[in-house]
Amino acid sequence: MASPDNIVVIRDLTKRYSQGDIEVTALNRVSLNIATGEFLALMGPSGSGKSTLLHIIAGVDRPTSGECHVQGVDVARLNESQLADWRNQNIGFIFQTFNLIPVLTAAENVELPLLLTQLNRSQRRKQVAAALDLVGLSDRSHHLPRQLSGGQEQRVAIARALVTDPALIVADEPTGNLDSHSAQDVLTALQSLRRDAGKTIIMVTHDPKAAAFGTRQIHLEKGELS
Amino acid sequence: MTIPTFILKNALRNKRRAILSISSVAASLFLLVTLQVALRELTLPPESAGAELRVAVRNRISLTNPLPVRQRSLIEKIPGVAAITPFTWFGGKYKNEGGMTFAQFAIDPKALGTVFAEAKMDMTGYQTFVAKKDSCVIGKITADKYDLKVGDRFSLDSTVYPGSLTFEVAGIYSGTPDDRNMLFRQDYLDDSIGMPGYVGMWWLKVTSPEAMPGVIATVEKSFANSSAEVKAESERAFQLGFISMLGNIRMLVASISTVVVFTLVLVAASTMSMSIRERFRELAVLKALGFRRRELFAFILAESFGLSAAGAVLGIGTAYVLYTYGNISQMTHGILISFEVTPRIIGFAALVAALLGIVSAIAPSLAVTRMSVVQGLKTLD
Ligand SMILES: Nc1ncnc2c1ncn2[C@@H]1O[C@H](COP(=O)(O)OP(=O)(O)OP(=O)(O)O)[C@@H](O)[C@H]1O
Ligand SMILES: [Mg+2]
Repeated sequence: MASPDNIVVIRDLTKRYSQGDIEVTALNRVSLNIATGEFLALMGPSGSGKSTLLHIIAGVDRPTSGECHVQGVDVARLNESQLADWRNQNIGFIFQTFNLIPVLTAAENVELPLLLTQLNRSQRRKQVAAALDLVGLSDRSHHLPRQLSGGQEQRVAIARALVTDPALIVADEPTGNLDSHSAQDVLTALQSLRRDAGKTIIMVTHDPKAAAFGTRQIHLEKGELS
Repeated sequence: MTIPTFILKNALRNKRRAILSISSVAASLFLLVTLQVALRELTLPPESAGAELRVAVRNRISLTNPLPVRQRSLIEKIPGVAAITPFTWFGGKYKNEGGMTFAQFAIDPKALGTVFAEAKMDMTGYQTFVAKKDSCVIGKITADKYDLKVGDRFSLDSTVYPGSLTFEVAGIYSGTPDDRNMLFRQDYLDDSIGMPGYVGMWWLKVTSPEAMPGVIATVEKSFANSSAEVKAESERAFQLGFISMLGNIRMLVASISTVVVFTLVLVAASTMSMSIRERFRELAVLKALGFRRRELFAFILAESFGLSAAGAVLGIGTAYVLYTYGNISQMTHGILISFEVTPRIIGFAALVAALLGIVSAIAPSLAVTRMSVVQGLKTLD
């Protein structure tokens, strides 16, 4: 079922939320393959289930039914602490609101996920420098988030997502809070991640211009792929 | 960066709050240590060297009822009794001072070498005291306070006996836990304004600690059914009995301490909850990055523990330095002589601080456990 080229294999994935009597189907029997090295743009109107799908793939949410394999691993079968380890090793997260820790410098923010690894201090430092270099922010490593522009903050977040060298990077509207110029920088950075570092990227976006940076665009509509 | 520096940066991110919460822990622990030390000083008077050999004998009805002198020869004959002295409260006021700032007792002058042997004084002073009827000896604290020297004469107005008496200072003693009393001669009192034939109470010295229970029992039995029944007890028991007259201080201090600790827990717990709640989203991000629950627990615990510990070091340390190196008897105008911060009290306060660190981490830790990443990411900054 999982071809070696497909990093993500999704079958009949359904997610329902029930609040009292009302039941919301956020995802309805979604099936999807994502090939290694793809830059997938996931589009769709608000409330169509984009974030929900992304969260399930990234192992921070669990499906109601169906399967989601990432690199051959059935994510839903892992327990909480296995999932945490798995995320640390396999997933890079990028959020709409950057979510950097305000009291840490750019370099320290990037270093955070590495604190969970076996790397020693100098190895960590080397990897942080490489990641910041990749997003073009080597000269900002000692700045605090509030001393950076929004676009720079988001690029620091990208560096944080890629510093552990994960196979899959997920980004939920990474340009949603940015002006078009900064958005361009961020999207270019993501694009080069795919091209130069061979990462697979899943990006949720509302913006067709942003989606155009991807290698493939798919649309969700009321929890179903169209 | 390392995990400890990460925790430190988080703990100090809101400097004002960190300082305020450390200060409130420090102030409360300072108060707690002070209360505990005061309680100890008041309920466990410092033991003097001769205490384990001393027995107090007083009128069974109350301390203010006198005892007849004829008891003395009977007590002296009891096996195990090494020495005896009368001990009669004079209740004198020095100059026109409002309250009584030191106590005066009439004793047998030789008792200074026997019953109260731990009071150290030079030999000439002792000889003068034994030789001159109107002489007296004064504890060093009182002598210093009123600048009294050997050879000085002064008068005291008694509030117990009619009139006043004039004394000459024969010597100044030290070496007792509380060098404040003035001691003069029972025969001087009897021959002037006193009540000959009666004394306030007796102090005995027994030959060995083992002899004490027997002496106590025999003394009480000897005067049972007489016109002046007595109560005999060890010095420790006698002093504790005195303290219970002050009301239930232990109970009072214990309840104040409980309120202090309780308030402290509430303040610390709500501060900690607040500071974690503000960071909910960040904690969700950390979870997404692969930090596990137990790591987030450890962060929260370390932070709240660290704040408590800083407050503890500050509060307990200040109390320790102040009470150990400060001059307590001067600060309290002689009400308290020593104010010792014992290891036990330090341990108790440190334990309270440690529990505080743990208890105030509970609520935020539970909240973080229950939080899912998705939920946490949705909380607004
Ligand atoms: N915790 C929840 N409880 C109940 N319903 C939820 C919950 N989370 C999401 N939903 C519902 O699931 C549906 C999909 O939500 P989702 O966040 O995936 O949408 P989205 O496509 O990311 O929208 P947007 O573009 O606005 O971010 C929505 O109808 C939403 O109301
Ligand atoms: Mg969304």
